[in-house]
Order: sequence, then C-alpha cells, then structure tokens
Amino acid sequence: MAAVATCGTGAGSTGSIAAAASKNNVTSFQRKGPRASGTDSGCSRLVSIAGTRPSVRNGQLLVSTGLPALDQLLGGGLAVGTVLLIEEDKYNIYSSLVFKYFLAEGIINGHTLLVASVKEDPADILQELPAPLLDDNCKKDFDEDVCNDKTPDSNIKMKIAWRYQLLPKMESGPVSSSRFGHYYDASKRMPQELIEASKWHGFFFPEKLSSTNIESCSLTHGYRKLLQFIQNVIYEEGFDGSSPQKKQKNILRIGIQSLGSPLWGDDICCTENCDNSHSLTKFLYVLRGLLRTSLSACIITMPTHLIQNKAVIARVTNLSDTVVGLESFIGSERETNPLYKDYHGLIHIRQIPRLNNLIYDVSDVKDLAFKLKRKLFTIEGSYCIFVLTAAKARELQQGSSHVIL
Amino acid sequence: VTPSEGAGGGTRRELEMESVLALGGLVLLRDSVEWEGRTLLKALIKKSALCGEQVHILGCEVSEDEFREGFDSSINSRLIYHDLFRDPLNWSQTGETLPGGPLGALQAMCRRTHPGPVTIALDSLSWLLLHIPCTSLCQALGALSRQHAHPGGGSPAEPLRVLGLLHEELHGPGPLGALSSLAQTEVTLSGTVGQASAHILSRRPRQRPAHQTQWFSILPDFSLDLQGGPPLESQPHADPHTASVDPTAHVTFNLHLSKKEREAKDSLTLPFQFSSEKQQALLRPGPGQATGRIFYEPDAYDDLDQEDPDDDLDV
Repeated sequence: MAAVATCGTGAGSTGSIAAAASKNNVTSFQRKGPRASGTDSGCSRLVSIAGTRPSVRNGQLLVSTGLPALDQLLGGGLAVGTVLLIEEDKYNIYSSLVFKYFLAEGIINGHTLLVASVKEDPADILQELPAPLLDDNCKKDFDEDVCNDKTPDSNIKMKIAWRYQLLPKMESGPVSSSRFGHYYDASKRMPQELIEASKWHGFFFPEKLSSTNIESCSLTHGYRKLLQFIQNVIYEEGFDGSSPQKKQKNILRIGIQSLGSPLWGDDICCTENCDNSHSLTKFLYVLRGLLRTSLSACIITMPTHLIQNKAVIARVTNLSDTVVGLESFIGSERETNPLYKDYHGLIHIRQIPRLNNLIYDVSDVKDLAFKLKRKLFTIEGSYCIFVLTAAKARELQQGSSHVIL
Repeated sequence: VTPSEGAGGGTRRELEMESVLALGGLVLLRDSVEWEGRTLLKALIKKSALCGEQVHILGCEVSEDEFREGFDSSINSRLIYHDLFRDPLNWSQTGETLPGGPLGALQAMCRRTHPGPVTIALDSLSWLLLHIPCTSLCQALGALSRQHAHPGGGSPAEPLRVLGLLHEELHGPGPLGALSSLAQTEVTLSGTVGQASAHILSRRPRQRPAHQTQWFSILPDFSLDLQGGPPLESQPHADPHTASVDPTAHVTFNLHLSKKEREAKDSLTLPFQFSSEKQQALLRPGPGQATGRIFYEPDAYDDLDQEDPDDDLDV
C-alpha cells in the first residue's frame, strides 16, 4: 500500500483523480471532463460530427462500420476518407448483410447515404435494412443470447479472484443510440420513419444505361457515370468543404454493391485477358482521391471469387485501404466439419491501412471466424485450427488411413 | 406425368421439381457431352406450356422443325419460336430475321407487353456467349429478371422464367462463374450408367442456397419421370467427416480430469485464499466508498502546475 498522503498544492490535479468516483467506474483514474465553455472551441480541435469519434491511436476520425466486432478488428472503426473493400462470399449472403449494416449505421447516426448498385434498386436495398437494437426492450433478449453459459453471479463462485466479486459487471451489451457502434437485429426491418427521415441518393446503373444507346456500352462508361454522380453529390452537398458550411457538418456514406461484376459492363470476371483491364483500377484510384478530399467513407463489395486474373485482385487490394474477405461455409466441405459447426464462415483481414502512422493496427488473432445469430454478428478467433493441424501432423506421421481436412 | 415408384415419394419429388420451376428468374441448365440437356429443356417447356403459360423460344443451335419434333400440336401452338438458326447474320435479306442480331433479339424479348406468366427458353446460352460479349449477355439477362420484378405497366409479381441451356465444356471458368452468379437456379446434369441425375442448386433471395439431387428420366413424349435413385448399387462413398473428428484426441496435454484428480484439485489450498470471515472483513469497506483509492505522494521533481499538458485530451 502506498503511503497515505494528500498534497496541499497539488489538490487541483490529484483531487480530480481521487475524489470524483462515479457509480460505474472500475478504475480510479478519471479523464478531465470538458472544461468551461470558454475553452471549448480551443481544445476540441477535431470536428464533432454525430457518429464519429477520433481514434485513440492516431487521432484519425473514425466512423463505425455497423458491426462493433469488425470495428474492433479494424482498430476502432473505419477512418473517414477511406475505402472498405469486402470480398464477397460465394453466394453473396454475408457480404450483402455487412453492406446493409454499414448503411443502417449511417441512418441511425443521421449521415447522408449514397447507394450504388446493379442488381437491386437502391430503394429496395434501403427497405431491407436491419432494425437497430435500442436500450430497454432488447437488453434482456441480448443478454439471453450471449450469456447462456455464464455462471450466475454469486460470491462463492469466485474462488481465486474473490476480491473482485463486489465490483460491478462490465457492460457488454448494446446501449443507447448515442454510442459509437450499434447492434442490429437481422430478422427485423428498419422502421419506415427512420428511412424516410434520412437523406439518401441512389444510383441504379441499369436505369442510367437504358437512357443511352442500346448497344453495349464502353467499359468505363458505367464507372465514369458513377464517379460523376459521386462527385456531384459531394460538391452539391458540400462534403468537401467547397460551399460555406452554414449547417452542421455531416458524413457521406457511400455504398457500392458488386463492383466489378459483369452487370457493370466490366469483363474482368469473364475473361483472364480482358480489353480494359485497367478500368476498375482507374475507378478505385479516382474514387480514393474523391474520398480523401471530402468527409466521406465508402464500402465496396466485390465478387473477387469470380475475377480470373489474380494480378487484378492484387492491384485492387493495393488501391483500397481496408480489405476484408468473407468466406462462408455454405456448400463447401467445411460445412460438415465438426470443428466449424459453431461458425458460419471465416473472415480474412487482408489489409489494414497505415494512416498517419508507422505501424499497423492488427489484432493478435489471425484465424477469425464469424457467426450470425439472429441479433448478433460475432467474430471470434477460432483457436481450434491449431489443434487440428497438430493432430493432422500426428496422423500423417503414424500413417493413419483417415483423412482429416 | 407418369407415376414413379412410390406414390407418396413421387408426389414429394414432383413438388421438389415444381419448386425449382416456381422460383422464377434464370434457370441455368448445364449439360455436357455425356449428359445432354436439350431433352430436359424441352420437358420443362412442355410442363410450362401445359400450365397455360406463354413460351418464347430463341432457337440458335437447331432448326425449328427439329426443335418442334416430338411435341404434339396443342403444345406446338403455344410455342412462339424466334429463329436465329436459319439466318443469323441476315444474309438472305428477306426481312424475316430478327433485327439487331442476337443481342437485339434478346433485348426484344425484354420488351414484351403481353400479360400473364411467361417462360423464355434460350437454346442455347453457349451460342449466345460465342456471338455477343459476356457482359452484354449478363446485362440483358439482368434486364430480363428485372422485368420479372417490375413489369412495365403490368400487374406486380408476374412470374417470368428464363430457361437457359449452357454447354459447360465450351466455356472457361469466367463466363460460367458470371452466369452462375446471375442464376436463381442451377441444374447440373450428370449421372451414372443409364440413369441421369440433376443436381439442383436453388438460391432464394436472402436465404441459404439449397442443394438437392434428383434422378430422372425423360419419356419419348417429353414427360418428366422422377425417380428415387440409381438402379445399380453405386452409393457415394461415405463422407470422411461423418467419422467424427475429435480435435482433442491427439494433443500432448491432458484435457480431461479423472474423479480423483478433480478431488485433489478442489482440495488444494491456494495462496491468498483466506477463510470466508477474513474475505468478508477485507471486502467490507469496499461497497461504501469508491472502488479504489490511489494515494500519491509527489516527490521533489514532480511538476504540479495547473496547466496540465494533457488537458486537450477530449476523447
């Protein structure tokens, strides 16, 4: 135990440490709250926009991706001005869900949305967004979802850590909408009034296509129109700071679905040596330039399993900032593998950007698997893979006839 | 349709096959040299025609007479045949050929205005892939399936079914993958000696895709006869994963405790494990105050001025 002393002159700084203890606090260290109004503009140098927060590591402004588990893996969230590329799973089930979570998070936070797609109309996509889980009515359902195997809180249970048994439990569930990341219920739809109250722009490529000539369009035609559309929205709504901001600053969330699929007019999924192999990479390059100069964040889903030329995939990865690959177990031999029975697929974090930073912000666990329960999309490290490879090595050594995948 | 082996089983299989067709959208029939798919295509066309739907056929690979052979007159009167086989490049200049070439013909089918359920059969998609770029074909097929969802001026939810025959040996993985991603249902034909089977993969929107394998044969009048299984005993070998893989089987450390070991573990006294009275005595001051206190004694070199350098941390 440290010597008991309180210093007289330093009461101002240490007093704030020891004295103010709120009910839910588990540490004795307190951050100083915001000062009196006179110094507000001075000390808050970062823009305070709804739904954003600065990164604790490098001060970069972050928005939530809609999945708090994914936010944690990406170092707190998606940085404003960057691109999140999702490599679609084979049947495009989970990647479209991640896409919808991103848009739903934008609606909850009041951000402006821009949705570009080829297969479904953007209005239909917005109708299918998951409903958010807000405090009161859902906390108990969430608790029963997660804490099924937690031991009940009783003083006897904690044999070794008995000193902590009277401390309040750390909150692990969804909280009110003022927080950074939200949880969503994939089985319910977002209420209509929230969608109508939000501001969104839609770009449905087949509509723009039909307005021009009938014959097959040139390869960069679809991408060029999309870039022009995005640029117009950014300029007209003032996300790049060009028009004087009379109103509150806001974030533009851009979502582009199935970029690179043949429906956009791009043939990188069809052949290996395509004529315009650079149109997609040019598009990503220009898009990144637009994003860096505006307050926007973009999510792109791309069917990379269809792209025939591996060099294109490597270039696309280099031109995006954060790249996450989803691999679902549906239809593959892993579906019946008992090791993977709790999970629906694997997540591969292929790339994390270094923004104003010298080091990457990677998580320790590299074998990540996800599972989608009704109200929760969790990502966990699947440690069992280590056990499997050790067992497999032993089997092969002993020359067993069983084959374990 | 003639009854198959078990009556109850036959009805169930019928329903499964019906559900394949009822899904709408693009149905991809992938065939190969050993297991050809045109007879199955004609069987499905006959089924649709018997249901009273309008059937449009874009014929590219065989002549119209050869295609209509085997259908009786009632069905033939329901089929509307668009012929691209006889003169695809319009050399005869008679004005009978479809304008715009293959792509124009396909896009003309998008612009149908006749109400009621419609089935469009494309014979074959391979021919179309060889003559028009893959991206244009995909966009045209996308437009067709969107016509299904939002028909121009018609009633909502008119089922439009597109049956496309694809010879999978003619194409590389690129076009096959691109067309598979557009299809709502994929039927791959294969089989064993003397018995054809169809492996059906149906992708309902926003649901997990479902696989099933259906053994069938097609009768001379193009009726579909669904069967239970292959006639010979050619069972697929057991899935290696059904032999349960226990990951804890061969590890080098002990994951299980015997009863005696467990008792010994429980009776072990740990350090800092005090009696319960002492525990309560130590814990009692806790709830009343702050959960922890820090006692700090500044030494001579500490900078204790009011201008805290961290005061702009407003995280």
